[in-house]
Amino acid sequence: HQAALRLLGQGGGSSSSPATRLSAHPDSRCWFVAWSPNGTLLASCGGDKAIRIWGREGDSWVCKSVLEDGHQRTVRKVAWSPCGNYLASASFDATTCIWKKNNEGFESLTVLEGHENEVKCVAWAPSGNLLATCSRDKSVWIWEVDEEDEYECVTVLNSHTQDVKHVAWHPTRELLASASYDNNICIYKEEDDDWECRATLEGHTSTVWSLCFDATGQRMASCSDDRTVKIWKEYPSESGDTSWKCVCTLSGYHGRTVYDVSWCPLTGALATACGDDAVRVFREDVTSNPEEPVFSLVAQVTKAHNQDVNCASWNPKEAGILASCSDNGELAIWRFKED
Amino acid sequence: MASHFSGVLQLTDLDDFITPSQECVKPVKVEKKQGKSVAKIQIEDDGSYVQVNQDGGKQKLEKAKITLNDCLACSGCITSAESVLITQQSHEELLKVLRNNKFCIPSNLNTISKIVVVSVSPQSRASLAAHYNLSSSEAGRRLTAYLKNLGVHCVFDTSFSRTFSLLESQREFVERFHRKEQDSKAVPMLTSACPGWICYAEKTHGDYILPYISTTRSPQQVMGSLVKGYFAKQQGLSPQQIYHVCVMPCFDKKLEASRSDFYMSDAETREVDCVITSGEVQRMMEEENVSLSDVEPAALDTMFSSVCGDEFLSHAGSGSGGYLHHVFTHAAKQLFGEEVKELTYKTLRNKDFQEVRLEKDGNVLLCFALTYGFRNIQNLVQKLKRGKCPYHFVEVMACPSGCLNGGGQVKPSAGQNQKELLQKVEELYRADRPLVPESDPRVADLYHSWLNSLGEDGAKELLHTQYHTVEKMTNGLTMKW
Repeated sequence: HQAALRLLGQGGGSSSSPATRLSAHPDSRCWFVAWSPNGTLLASCGGDKAIRIWGREGDSWVCKSVLEDGHQRTVRKVAWSPCGNYLASASFDATTCIWKKNNEGFESLTVLEGHENEVKCVAWAPSGNLLATCSRDKSVWIWEVDEEDEYECVTVLNSHTQDVKHVAWHPTRELLASASYDNNICIYKEEDDDWECRATLEGHTSTVWSLCFDATGQRMASCSDDRTVKIWKEYPSESGDTSWKCVCTLSGYHGRTVYDVSWCPLTGALATACGDDAVRVFREDVTSNPEEPVFSLVAQVTKAHNQDVNCASWNPKEAGILASCSDNGELAIWRFKED
Repeated sequence: MASHFSGVLQLTDLDDFITPSQECVKPVKVEKKQGKSVAKIQIEDDGSYVQVNQDGGKQKLEKAKITLNDCLACSGCITSAESVLITQQSHEELLKVLRNNKFCIPSNLNTISKIVVVSVSPQSRASLAAHYNLSSSEAGRRLTAYLKNLGVHCVFDTSFSRTFSLLESQREFVERFHRKEQDSKAVPMLTSACPGWICYAEKTHGDYILPYISTTRSPQQVMGSLVKGYFAKQQGLSPQQIYHVCVMPCFDKKLEASRSDFYMSDAETREVDCVITSGEVQRMMEEENVSLSDVEPAALDTMFSSVCGDEFLSHAGSGSGGYLHHVFTHAAKQLFGEEVKELTYKTLRNKDFQEVRLEKDGNVLLCFALTYGFRNIQNLVQKLKRGKCPYHFVEVMACPSGCLNGGGQVKPSAGQNQKELLQKVEELYRADRPLVPESDPRVADLYHSWLNSLGEDGAKELLHTQYHTVEKMTNGLTMKW
């Protein structure tokens, strides 16, 4: 494979467009970036308690709106609803804000309270009716949204023994996964009239920072402070329970903690964000045995940012477009090209 | 070790990066002794700390201890409370008191024997009955025999004290309902029998939620008043001479017994000295190789028991005390003249969230709810905060499925499924014939002869209690990074 990861606008193609590196949250950290479902907008959040919405104008990316006054502390993660009309933000102030898009920008719709302390992540289920949040209080909550935009708590799950860092929904089924400081991943499903942890995935030897399903939901990638990325595959079991096995461990590539992993739904490429300031892209060897897949590093930018890279996220509609953000407050948009 | 407290309490502000002992941030007051200011502190092989003064003199340093009261008054975790409770309130403590009684020499004033009273909850009885394949009454008779063989003097039944709790709840509700136009916090009245819920409300929602909570004491603490008040007086004993144990379906009940509101400061004793769970009773028997099925049944102590002959009586409604059922039927009659024969429970979001309404000519006269488990408590609290709570009364319990599913109940045996066990416990509990609270002549008699003689305030003190907001700590030590 010949592949390269370049800042959008730099080298190849339309060389006139400016390189896309933005000071998204100046003098602060940029914690997370999220693409809108149609891929036209990018939301970023940071230590400055703000959320910024970025969009393309001509060849450059500009800030379209700033969502302030929603949170009293760091905004750790943002998530778009599947319809693209709502944005949820998880904050260290123990709340989750729901924002609704209107003609002028975004208005704060409601604030979800209940977590005891820092909310670390928020994720919308594909149906748009359920929202999951997780916190340093070790719990994972699922909320249900009704037609009147009222949110009610459906369940509180206490399967982790430590801080829960990340939650992600299965792309097609109502299945939720969470990653924790207790080194484990939990998979939840609704049973009778409550949600239950149906599988605990052990394997990482340190904090699991993030996880991501592939386009079909048959596999999941997780990344950890143990400097590895693991690929998990679901196997049907007789009891109907969900059973996941680690089929591949990517080790030796990352110099420090791997903070985020993103599995491109369009190309199948796997991108990672690492504490060694690098952004990397891995590709599955198509000839390898699906029970023991082989992934190779096909592109990397060692100094993608000059501090920790916190997040990497593939554009859901435009193949090869990747956004990343860093502790230095900046976000960058890259083009991944395979020749 | 996994925590025994209900999920609600486990969620309350536990930290993550440090272990429980380090986690405690309660500043400890250290008694400073006057004297030389320069000294070395040396750690001995056994881990103790010794101060070595300049003159070479050594002095063992005291360890800083967190008391239960420190812990309960703190807005942080409850981990320390748990370890304190395990040592203070366990079946070993009960056995220690009973052992002490046996070796007691009447002439020796240093060994004062205690009158040991055990009050058993009907939920615990049902749990033990399910474990030993007995009826609930049969389990009660055999448990009475087992405890008396150990040296317990009296075995009572907290259904009896629950009759007081139900009557007081009913009165309190009617009174609150009448003042709901003037007082925005008069309704919904939220029940108070669940200590997990109370502790959670005090630690996390404080001033906002507490005014809604019924001041009526739980059955456990009404029994505390009966045993250390009425019973003690009748037997010519000081409250301190009685060791009062409650057998409960719930670990959080230990916290309730430890509340300073239930400490008799004049007599220097708690109204309930020790709470042991259904599971701990079962373990206690197991340790002595006793099976309840083999114990010969004994006659029941009828003084504070809800019995008819040798059969126990219960209350209608939920397995968590039937508060909604009783208050609803009573309020329908007293406030609207409606005779309600049967209540229709409508399941809302899930089985632990149900609603009962009284409607007339299309108007909703009464709207009550059962709200069990943390997820439903959350929605209730949020609705209250947003002023969108449509209820007049809510029976709140921290455990999913309520008290019959309490964390202190006997665990399923090998191969037994938790859901099947719970169903069995529910069936056994419901098999007891219900008693209408107003029609217990002995309760009426105690109101008349005992409580009336104490005056309104005196009676209120024995049947009601108070709640206290736990202030969030603001000192630098609690800073979360």
